[in-house]
Amino acid sequence: MALIGLAVLGCIGLFFGIGLALAAHKFAVEANPKVEEVLEVLAGAQ
Amino acid sequence: MKIPGRKYLLLNILVIFSLFLIGGCKPEHRFVKKTAFKDTNKIVIEFAGPVDEAWAKNRSSYTACEKPDPDIRLKIIDVSLSADKKKATLVFADDLNKNQPHVVTATQISSEGKSLGTAILNVKKFYLGYLFSILIGAMIINNFVFTKYLGLCVFFGVSQKKSTAVGMGITFTLVIVVSAMMSWFIYQFVLQPYRLDFLQIVVFIGLVSLSVQAVDTVLRKVNPLLFKAFGVYLVLVIANCIIIAVPLILADNAYNAWESLMLSLGAGLGFLIALFLMSSVRERLELANVPPTYRGLPIAFVLAGLFALSFLGFSGMSIF
Repeated sequence: MALIGLAVLGCIGLFFGIGLALAAHKFAVEANPKVEEVLEVLAGAQ
Repeated sequence: MKIPGRKYLLLNILVIFSLFLIGGCKPEHRFVKKTAFKDTNKIVIEFAGPVDEAWAKNRSSYTACEKPDPDIRLKIIDVSLSADKKKATLVFADDLNKNQPHVVTATQISSEGKSLGTAILNVKKFYLGYLFSILIGAMIINNFVFTKYLGLCVFFGVSQKKSTAVGMGITFTLVIVVSAMMSWFIYQFVLQPYRLDFLQIVVFIGLVSLSVQAVDTVLRKVNPLLFKAFGVYLVLVIANCIIIAVPLILADNAYNAWESLMLSLGAGLGFLIALFLMSSVRERLELANVPPTYRGLPIAFVLAGLFALSFLGFSGMSIF
């Protein structure tokens, strides 16, 4: 009983996890790496 | 080339939708054409052919009860038959609660001397009207913010400006419909068959964050302008209690797909209405001379209380 529950929830999680990963891959937006670098250098108090 | 394809898709969806609605009103016995409520205390049964008067006018041929309470028999005081003997009208001693589906059992229907077996009939309100009443109920009569006091943190957080309030409302409606439908599906077809109902809260929270993440990912690519306009509110949707309340209500009431759609849409639009009303008044309030102790959040709570009081006027209303 408990094992079935674990298996079912694990399957749901795996299914949606893979779905999200695929979606993120398909709808990837190329971000400018320089933005990150500049933010890194700045003080970042705000 | 793409546009006609989309048109056909829409048409298909409409056809399937209407077929479903027609299917939803079908009674369960081959000799019974239609069942319906009439006036406040009558149920009309329409037969496919003429039935015997002696059988039809006998009160003990029928039993009736509300679907959730099969033990409580409703008292039938009179049965009348139309001139062509195809329409029997049951008159009840008390007014019927038309919000509940009723079950009428017609034992051993007899037509021209032949017995046609027993019919167990479901009597429901017009299905489209029922769906519509769920929508309006969730939107106005039982508004989640003003009558159930849910989602207040986000409600007070984003109701300062009209533009952000409307943006948040629309995002919220979108996400709640997606996540509620997904929760309904998982609950009906995974959790219930495996008897994992006790895990519903955990699963529903996961599904809500999943749908928010999915909308975030897709929108970022598909419509960056809209994504920028939504900004931080998309993530704020997760922190709203309405979005977890709706799947729990759906699971409790065992709603079907259309009823779930209507309830989640109503909850979303109700939140949009609440945010719009509140932000309109709060924008106006910026110009008012509020005592210093009440400035900001306290007066907003007073306002929300007044709104809740006026929404109380809708309570107990029913449509159709």
